[in-house]
Amino acid sequence: MRWATAKRLFLLAVLVAVTLAAMRCTVPERIGLTSSESKFRDMLAPVQNGLTWLGRQGRYIISLPVSMVGAAARCQELEHEVERLESEKIQFNEYLIENQRLSALLDYKKVMAGNYNSLIASVIGRDPGNWFGTITLNRGSSEGIRENMSVLTPEGLVGRVIAVSASTCEVLLITDPRSGVGSLVQDTRTPGIVEGVAGAAGIARMIHLPNNALVETGQAVVTSGQGSLFPKGIPVGRINNVQNEPSGLFLSAEISPFANLNNLEEVIIVTFVQPETPTPSAGG
Amino acid sequence: MRFVLYPLLFGVIIILQSTVLENVAIAGIKPDLVMLIVILNSFFLGTRAGAFLGFTGGIVEDLFLGSYIGLNALAKMTAGYLAGAAGGRLYRENIPIATIVIFFTSLAGLMVNYLLLLYLDITIAPLHALLRVALPTAAYTALLAPFVFWRIFRYNQNRSREL
Repeated sequence: MRWATAKRLFLLAVLVAVTLAAMRCTVPERIGLTSSESKFRDMLAPVQNGLTWLGRQGRYIISLPVSMVGAAARCQELEHEVERLESEKIQFNEYLIENQRLSALLDYKKVMAGNYNSLIASVIGRDPGNWFGTITLNRGSSEGIRENMSVLTPEGLVGRVIAVSASTCEVLLITDPRSGVGSLVQDTRTPGIVEGVAGAAGIARMIHLPNNALVETGQAVVTSGQGSLFPKGIPVGRINNVQNEPSGLFLSAEISPFANLNNLEEVIIVTFVQPETPTPSAGG
Repeated sequence: MRFVLYPLLFGVIIILQSTVLENVAIAGIKPDLVMLIVILNSFFLGTRAGAFLGFTGGIVEDLFLGSYIGLNALAKMTAGYLAGAAGGRLYRENIPIATIVIFFTSLAGLMVNYLLLLYLDITIAPLHALLRVALPTAAYTALLAPFVFWRIFRYNQNRSREL
């Protein structure tokens, strides 16, 4: 037997012996570790930990481009889904707001049904400039709309119809400089005229208030109904400030309309006003 | 072709201005797109063409509104003329300069509009007219200049090459 062959056989024997010893030492019923095993494992733990972490990072780096392909597609799908849901949410909100608005109009219509006949109309256009304040509504002469009919929202007066076609009508807002509304201060019954300032300004002025009138900021102004195209008692706006007119004989007051005239979507056109029944005098 | 194109363009702009532009109004103030197109084109074309263009844009607007025919035509004609005069004296290929020109010429046009309203017995307090309408409208209109400046500049350059 040659020396090399003998050496190989010896190593094989050692390997078999060690393996057999290892088999013996690792029998399952043995509980607990020897102190040397325990120390060895404790020493090995950080290394194992590090290597495991490195392995995971390696796998992550290698598999990243592959997973990115799928992730991009998934991300895109989710983005579409989010967009669709956002759009639906906006649509539902729109329905909700429209519902609330129409309910308010319907309630108001019911409240005023005793005094007025009315028609609900949508705003379909506005004056393209900033000087005048007019809106176009989707109701016209074919639905009984005529010039000078009053236009309102549940919040207050909007204006009056100034021009009518078969299917549309144009409304002069109370903020238009051409508008004039016979009004009075609700608390003190002080009469005056509410005229527009400029279409885009969004405010009006109550003029010709007597110098000694008790007019204060915050008071409400309503239509007077006297000699006016507008029915009596419709809220017009609230007084912002009071100042002397240049002539010194009268006061004027700046008014913020109750109706949000810069953001109108639906309005009520008063088509008929019940004539007021005269109240019997106290003496009969 | 231009004689048909411009009125058509102004017509489309006015329809947009009376419907869609309501949504970009700030405190009730909308930009005046007709004024913007008139002034920017006039800035490149000169006084004569500017006045003509302003008048065309204004008259289309007046016809659309159906009342006070000539009110916007005169106001925008003034603005167009002034923008044309400014274009002859200033460096034209510069957005900030164009923005300033739009602000001042549209302000001038709006003040002409105001004087014509007084002429028509439509009284608006001068301070309200200036602070609540003219200045905000001129500023808002001028701020839109960067969005259309190069398009209008290139259009006018191509047209002058064709001629």
